[in-house]
Amino acid sequence: MDSMWQNSIDRLNSRKEAVAAAGGAERIAKQHSSGKLTARERMEALFDDGTFVELNDQISSRCSDFGMDKKKKPGDGVVTGYGYIHGRVAFASSQDFTVGGGSLGEAQAKKICQAMDKAMVMKAPFISINDSGGARIEEGIDSLTGYADIFYRNTIASGVIPQISVIMGPCAGGACYSPAITDYIFMTDYAQMYITGPAVVKSVTGEEITSSALGGAAVHSATSGVAHFVYPDDLSCLNGVRQLLGYLPQSNEDISLEVPGTAVDNSSALADIVPADSKKAYDVRNVINSIVDAGSFFEVQESFARNIVVGFARLDGETIGVIANQALYMAGSLEINASDKASRFIRFCDSFNIPLLTLVDVPAFLPGSQQEHGGIIRHGAKLLYAYSEATVPKVSLIMRKAYGGAYIAMNSKGTGADMVYAWPIAEIAVMGASGAVSIIGKKAIESAEDPKAKREELLNEYNEKFMNPYIAAEHGYVDEVILPEETRSKIAGAFKMLKTKERELPYKKHGNIPL
Amino acid sequence: MSKYRITVDGKTYEMDVELIGANGAAVQPVAKAAPAPVVNAPAAPATAASKPAAASTGAVTAPMPGTILKVLKASGDAVKAGDIVLILEAMKMENEITAPVDGVIGSLSLTEGSTVAGGDLLFEVK
Repeated sequence: MDSMWQNSIDRLNSRKEAVAAAGGAERIAKQHSSGKLTARERMEALFDDGTFVELNDQISSRCSDFGMDKKKKPGDGVVTGYGYIHGRVAFASSQDFTVGGGSLGEAQAKKICQAMDKAMVMKAPFISINDSGGARIEEGIDSLTGYADIFYRNTIASGVIPQISVIMGPCAGGACYSPAITDYIFMTDYAQMYITGPAVVKSVTGEEITSSALGGAAVHSATSGVAHFVYPDDLSCLNGVRQLLGYLPQSNEDISLEVPGTAVDNSSALADIVPADSKKAYDVRNVINSIVDAGSFFEVQESFARNIVVGFARLDGETIGVIANQALYMAGSLEINASDKASRFIRFCDSFNIPLLTLVDVPAFLPGSQQEHGGIIRHGAKLLYAYSEATVPKVSLIMRKAYGGAYIAMNSKGTGADMVYAWPIAEIAVMGASGAVSIIGKKAIESAEDPKAKREELLNEYNEKFMNPYIAAEHGYVDEVILPEETRSKIAGAFKMLKTKERELPYKKHGNIPL
Repeated sequence: MSKYRITVDGKTYEMDVELIGANGAAVQPVAKAAPAPVVNAPAAPATAASKPAAASTGAVTAPMPGTILKVLKASGDAVKAGDIVLILEAMKMENEITAPVDGVIGSLSLTEGSTVAGGDLLFEVK
């Protein structure tokens, strides 16, 4: 090798070393001492061991304002590339807080967009790890355009490839909107997301609030519903991302990863889990766990709108999405947050060809001015819209209560359910006995000699006639009334039969879901 | 505490990693998991205990409008987290309202048959 070769190689090596050194030993030590991994260590943890390949490591900022040309920004504050997760390719970006606080400028955005574009062409998932102070102020509106370029790609990729955002540090201002457009947001306990931080909040409203009380993981998982998954630290969080991807297909043209195993039928436990007295509560997650492949249920948004439970599971090795009313919380009523949570989950599953299992035990939509003024009409409508629009196989089990509008909203026959099963303890009716008798029996009760006895008589009559699944079965709204111990085999059989389901919606640009 | 060696672009970093659980206790480090295969074991029906909604404050509010069906504790009673204090009949269900934390019941003035609106303070645990 002559000396020209050697000089060129030395130059390349020194450039590569500069990128690998990131923000320097001191900043890396600081990142570690705060319990965090560096951007590259996160990539190594996300992908199958040794499979991460970095891309575009030399992209750097063109900005020369404010002396920016003198400040070295190795990698421009982000690491991008691809690797394999459960042996399947995926693309990712990981912001590097040690380099310029991970701030996003034109070049960082370009790097991220190149990785996103590859994910789209390869029809593979995209994972964005966020740990950034926000826009790089020195780069002005080029930085804002960088965000816009990412939001645009997030939107175009929505429903084509799974997009997952992982928040592992600050994520402030416009930076929040890329995660918000993606399918799932993971947060670590020390991450924060807010549109305006505590300093701005104080200067504008006078309110004093800590960053974690304003936008920490607890807030976004339980109160705002912005985050779907929360983990204590980087490693467990990235393992959570891997676990989720294990349920998902690579794209809307793919089918989910099948995980074969021994199917165990725990349906015999169901009659002990669910009390026949519909006034008594139980934890519907025990029902889900008894029906699906053992240990396969992976709950989504478990701390938000707990009156409805959603998540992925496997049935005979194949991924399904489960939506279930939770009697343990708010009696399983539907309200604004539960409608939003379930609708978004249903639409994700439908986008990615994941069949839906709906477990119904719902008393009603929650009454009250708080709900009406909050717009339960347009929020509840999302649930009807999402179920009606979904063309994937849709199977329902009416366990106990199914009343009124809430019955229609929970994947009823009329909104396109393929198979509707009910247990013999099911109560399927337009409304509860007490309400119904007060209306349709009003005159009879008023004119009776003993109104109290008459009311009692009418109540018993209504209960006897309507508090069962048989009118619904006679009218064809329930396909079959089944025994609890038959539950898994019937549901698995239905999904097997529905594998070849084909249903096309009429041509449209897109529907207009009530938002 | 586990030792991790991470090699990035030829540079090797050694780290001690300890996972800290929600309660501050060390938890088992998570191995890089394959999608969970089906295990041949029956699903254990967990106890049907609901997570308290406002565990940090001890103030318990009505999750929805309804009628108090039963009052099982009184102001001044000592309770453990998860003990049933009231039964709220609402939305065709007898909802168990439990103590969110260990302590002593205060501000409980409801009687059987009282109606409450969603968000009303039911009692506190101090």
